[in-house]
Amino acid sequence: MSGASAQRTVASWLPAAAPGPTAFDRVLGLCPDLCADYHAFLALFWTRRSVDAVVLELCRLRVAQLVGCEAELRLRYEPARAAGLDEAKIALLDRWPTAATFTDAERSCLAYAEQFVLDVHGITDAQATEVTAHLTPAGLVALTEALALFEGFARFRMMLDIVPEALVLAADGRPGAR
Amino acid sequence: MSRGRVPPPPDGPDAATYGVLAHQPEMLRAFRRLYGTLWSHGVLDPPTKEVARIRNARTIDCCYCRNVRFAAARQQGLEEELVDLVNEGWEDSALRERHKLAIRWTDAFLGDPHGVDAGFRARMLGEFTPAELVELTAGLALFHGFAKIAVALGQQPEAMPVTVLATPDRPA
Repeated sequence: MSGASAQRTVASWLPAAAPGPTAFDRVLGLCPDLCADYHAFLALFWTRRSVDAVVLELCRLRVAQLVGCEAELRLRYEPARAAGLDEAKIALLDRWPTAATFTDAERSCLAYAEQFVLDVHGITDAQATEVTAHLTPAGLVALTEALALFEGFARFRMMLDIVPEALVLAADGRPGAR
Repeated sequence: MSRGRVPPPPDGPDAATYGVLAHQPEMLRAFRRLYGTLWSHGVLDPPTKEVARIRNARTIDCCYCRNVRFAAARQQGLEEELVDLVNEGWEDSALRERHKLAIRWTDAFLGDPHGVDAGFRARMLGEFTPAELVELTAGLALFHGFAKIAVALGQQPEAMPVTVLATPDRPA
């Protein structure tokens, strides 16, 4: 089997795959316009910086932990690395309430992210106000949209059993620097 | 409209239609393009997408999403009597098999995404093409996430009638 053929067959349990640089792209790429629009939308969260890239990455990974998405947990986003997020801090993510390395802004956003995933109706005005104090109202909107995208597409990966890959991704979710 | 958790965005057409999402106009435009592609330029029939969207809305309990209907699904036969069947007892209802599978797929997406076994996968592939299945699942990712956004930001009304809206399309 050629490299290109192998790349097409190991994306998920689906009996078809599109060309693409990652298993995720080879699956979502079966709907090419949807795939392109998804990447364009995703890139805005990392490039517009309404939410700090480290906060965004910590929230993405915490969402993945809560829903149990191994494929998402293996990914890293370059903008967060460039902003200083390292593996030592990520290793403490499930202990964010007590680990000293997390800032007040990170704690507020992680608490909000957890509530979003576990029981969105349980989000309180006080919780939203606290996040807004760190991010601005526009930042709260951006964070909430990002959480929606992170959780939704983590579930997408799990439903289709997309093959986990350890990758460093650029802002648009496509492979970046190693 | 219930009390929101975000102050109103600056006045404008986006604010009137999309509420606090207009705080992020570029993201709103990108989302509208993505959602428009899903609904108006996809491969999966609108009634099946609508069944999944309604099932998600009823499970997440978003008042706005529960009561909105998209015109394309209605025009293609998904009348309110059928939407009413997307509820308890759907297994034994008069819904088409395709729509029953979409409900079961939605319930797995929301409740146990790791629990889709080989038999269920085979049944889905017997009814849907791989591209249709990808579109259905990506649609669920968006339905699920954006129902939660409405709840999280306090943007859902306390009550509203069933309202048929134009099918989302890409912004001009």
